[in-house]
Amino acid sequence: MNTEFDDKLFANAARLAKDIAPERDLWPEIADAIAAPPRRRYSPYWAQAAGVLLLVAASSMLTYVATREDPVIIERTVPADLALQTASFGGDYELSSGYKLARTNLQAQMDRELDKLSPAARAGVEQNLRVIRDAITEINAALEQEPGNVLLQELLLRTYREELAVMRKVGGLTQDVMSRNDI
Amino acid sequence: MAALLTAQTSDYSRPMAVAMTPTEDDESLWIRRAQRGDARAFEALYRMHLDRVYGLCLRMTGNRAEAEDCTQEAFIQAWNKIRKFRGDSAFGTWLHRIAVNAVLGRIRKSKREQDRIQAANELSSSPAAVADTGELRDLAEAVDRLPEGARHVFVLSAVYGYSHDEASSMLGIAVGTSKAQLHRARRLLAQQLGEEGYES
Repeated sequence: MNTEFDDKLFANAARLAKDIAPERDLWPEIADAIAAPPRRRYSPYWAQAAGVLLLVAASSMLTYVATREDPVIIERTVPADLALQTASFGGDYELSSGYKLARTNLQAQMDRELDKLSPAARAGVEQNLRVIRDAITEINAALEQEPGNVLLQELLLRTYREELAVMRKVGGLTQDVMSRNDI
Repeated sequence: MAALLTAQTSDYSRPMAVAMTPTEDDESLWIRRAQRGDARAFEALYRMHLDRVYGLCLRMTGNRAEAEDCTQEAFIQAWNKIRKFRGDSAFGTWLHRIAVNAVLGRIRKSKREQDRIQAANELSSSPAAVADTGELRDLAEAVDRLPEGARHVFVLSAVYGYSHDEASSMLGIAVGTSKAQLHRARRLLAQQLGEEGYES
């Protein structure tokens, strides 16, 4: 490639027509397009900011409602003597944290479901739980006196499982009742 | 300043009477009026810059129908964006940038469309070359046969006189790529035109 060719090439390129008239008038279509009402356009930044704000507001509202409603339901539906007591197993044994959490969750679920039951069914459930929890209290007290009594231990364990079974049935849960190993 | 906007009609499809060759002052006035939504002022800008915008589109696409569509798209985009024009560059340069974007956007639309354009180009002689005479016509036809990337850079740099910085910015490529494409264009043109006795 030689300089003479380059010079001629670029000199001629610069002489090529830059202004070329189209064969037809292009204005009518342009006029139609710009005469149409402009589509409302939002700044992407504003749209994104608005979206984020909306999401945060909705999330906060949901969280507020969810955390506000639970105690209200419990207060409305559960008699004071049926409120969940701290689970214990005599004085020498500690119930596992997993069991305690599952029991608390079951109680919360049951409390929500109690409202949906008929008054008669609800009274029956509350009576059963009252009997079971009274029994738990009494057996715990006995175990305080005789921590090594295996019969009392088995009895308390069975009673806790009965309590779980009642709560599971009311709550409509599908989890198996915890075994001794779980507890 | 000449009374350039003499048409008293709101029918934008009717050409506006232009009394004499517009000046830079006229252009500034039309720009300000168009920025306030005056479509007739924008029409005056259109008529002032149409041939150069269409010429650029025609040399970049090598196809008359595509060039018309790109030109229309460019002016519609210009109308939509004219409020943002601050005069940092010449209005014509600003329009050229929009036109190049219109061409590139159209090319990116679909491969099938490109194939169709290519087929149309092969069937017809170079539409852009019609505007040129003599040996310039040979050059114009050779430019039309260049591969897309090389053609775009050559048209912007060699024909319209944009620097590599400007051309690469318009095309959205690196300056080095622009230089490489120009070198490629020069080599391919040498092959084509050399065979036709261009150098002699």
